[in-house]
Amino acid sequence: MSRARALLAIPTSSSTWQRYAYLVIGAALVPPFGTLAGFVAPALEGGLGETAAWTLAITLCGIALPVATGMLPAVRELEIGAARRLLGVETGDPQALDATASWPTRWRSAAWFVAHLVVGGVIGTLTVVLPPAVVSACSVPFATGDVQLGQLDPTVPGGPGSAWIVPLALVSPLALVCLAAAAGGGLARLAPRLLGPTPAERLAALQRHAMRLAERNRLARELHDSVGHALSIVTVQAGAAGRVLDNDPAFARQALADIETSARNGLRDLDHVLGLLRDDAPSRAPVPTLADLPGLVDSTRSAGVDLSAELTGRIDEVPQAVSREAYRIVQESLTNAARHASHLPVSLSLEIGADHLELELSNPLDASPSHRQEGGGRGLNGIRERVASLRGQVSAGPEADRWRVAVRLPLHPTP
Amino acid sequence: MTLGVLLVDDEPLIRSGLRAIIQAEADLTVVGEAEDGAAVTPLVRRLRPDVVLMDVRMPGVDGIEATRRLLAHSDDPPRVLVLTTFENDDYVFDALRAGASGFLLKRARPDEVVRAIRLLAAGDSLLFPAAIRELAAHHAPAAPSPGGLDAARLTDREAEVLRLIAQGLSNAEIAGQLVVSAETVKTHVAHLLTKLEARDRTQAVIRAYQSGFISPG
Repeated sequence: MSRARALLAIPTSSSTWQRYAYLVIGAALVPPFGTLAGFVAPALEGGLGETAAWTLAITLCGIALPVATGMLPAVRELEIGAARRLLGVETGDPQALDATASWPTRWRSAAWFVAHLVVGGVIGTLTVVLPPAVVSACSVPFATGDVQLGQLDPTVPGGPGSAWIVPLALVSPLALVCLAAAAGGGLARLAPRLLGPTPAERLAALQRHAMRLAERNRLARELHDSVGHALSIVTVQAGAAGRVLDNDPAFARQALADIETSARNGLRDLDHVLGLLRDDAPSRAPVPTLADLPGLVDSTRSAGVDLSAELTGRIDEVPQAVSREAYRIVQESLTNAARHASHLPVSLSLEIGADHLELELSNPLDASPSHRQEGGGRGLNGIRERVASLRGQVSAGPEADRWRVAVRLPLHPTP
Repeated sequence: MTLGVLLVDDEPLIRSGLRAIIQAEADLTVVGEAEDGAAVTPLVRRLRPDVVLMDVRMPGVDGIEATRRLLAHSDDPPRVLVLTTFENDDYVFDALRAGASGFLLKRARPDEVVRAIRLLAAGDSLLFPAAIRELAAHHAPAAPSPGGLDAARLTDREAEVLRLIAQGLSNAEIAGQLVVSAETVKTHVAHLLTKLEARDRTQAVIRAYQSGFISPG
């Protein structure tokens, strides 16, 4: 009973007709290739003989050409869109589809395209052939001679004796719809495997996503710290200024100046981090590595920092992951230096050895109390996290008469 | 009688602001400043403040470690009021566990700052009971044992007083609620502090939450 109801649900479900439409689209794509084969074969017949000519024409136009078409990334995108919309399948995270041009993905796309054409071609042909056959079949009991069923070859003798064919003919469209639903369902099950990302692509996308999230978390935490710090100063100083305004106007005036500076610093940090977050989201730009270091040095210098930089070793021998993090560490160190010691000469040295890279950034300690390492090296947290994630070592602090940040990163993971 | 305050914060602008707020009060005076937790214990010995306002996050020796050292190396240590930028800072609860008597947000209004210093010096009632409960709930032990304070052998009355302390009631308010004299309450409080080996009400309440004697939820 429930099986009968399920069968009846097939022609009334909108998903059946959407999938049917997808198959008919596939069928509509077949004739161009067929027509082409029909033109090519006669041209070859003179040289190769009929059989060989048709074999070659069908191989070229009916197999090789659809496969090549299916390999086009644009066709893949169209197929994914159509499969999502009409087959109602989820082909996975679109972010994971970056690598549409990789060869394994192209082959899977081609397989899908051919499957779409073949299955669609079969259902489409039946769709065209069946209606006239049904009409002819209905006329069989009233006919006197043999009746051809539409365009089909077999003939049925006319007369009341062949009336059995009428109910069969009337049920056959329903059978076709069920067949189309089954074919559509089959394609829908196949779609994630052929149109979805490969496990490697999915993994890469997840890794990118996780990296982005971790980076955002870190930025948010730093922002929380630095803006919280600035606002605390603003609150305490403003409260104090309000209390002593009448008795100590000089303090109140100084407090206002400090409030202004702290608020401005807070806003600058906010601006900086929000800028990074904004850049971060849609950016497909490659993540900078140590190879981008000269640009960073130049832009730091043009921001007014007196920076001397020294590099020894081969940057291209540093693994990408280490290179990316090392670039960020240099970038953060320079940002810190620009923030805390903008008027002091900064020296940067990067030494790439066989197993390690050593990075050192230092500037003379500022004697004036107002330029003390403000906030206790708040910006160092990010560097520490990066270094820890690569199992490296970091030390930071005053050494002799200089503030020194030294980082040592292993180039290869140690077991 | 003026209360002496020692300011410990690595940010000079926080110190100068707090100094101005505190100095504006007739009964409070700043006896000294430090920018690192390492300087606290020697300064306390020399200056004998009543209350230490201590930043919790500092480079070098932080507020938690400085509090621990101060309480370990002083016979009659001052009360420690921990300063924090963020309410939900894990460090705050660590500092309270290390022996700080209360905490204060840096965004507190000037009158809240001076009130907190006076309240803490008097030791008469718990500072921000709701906030301490929340911190305790956040740091609740995985499986609190209801009999956690059994070893302390509190009397029923003392247990009742401890619960009221945790709600932030002062001695006078507890006396009113239990219909006994303020002197009696003081005696109960003194006994329960001794039994719990707690320096003050805050420490007693932290112990009560930590042991599961009071459920913070």
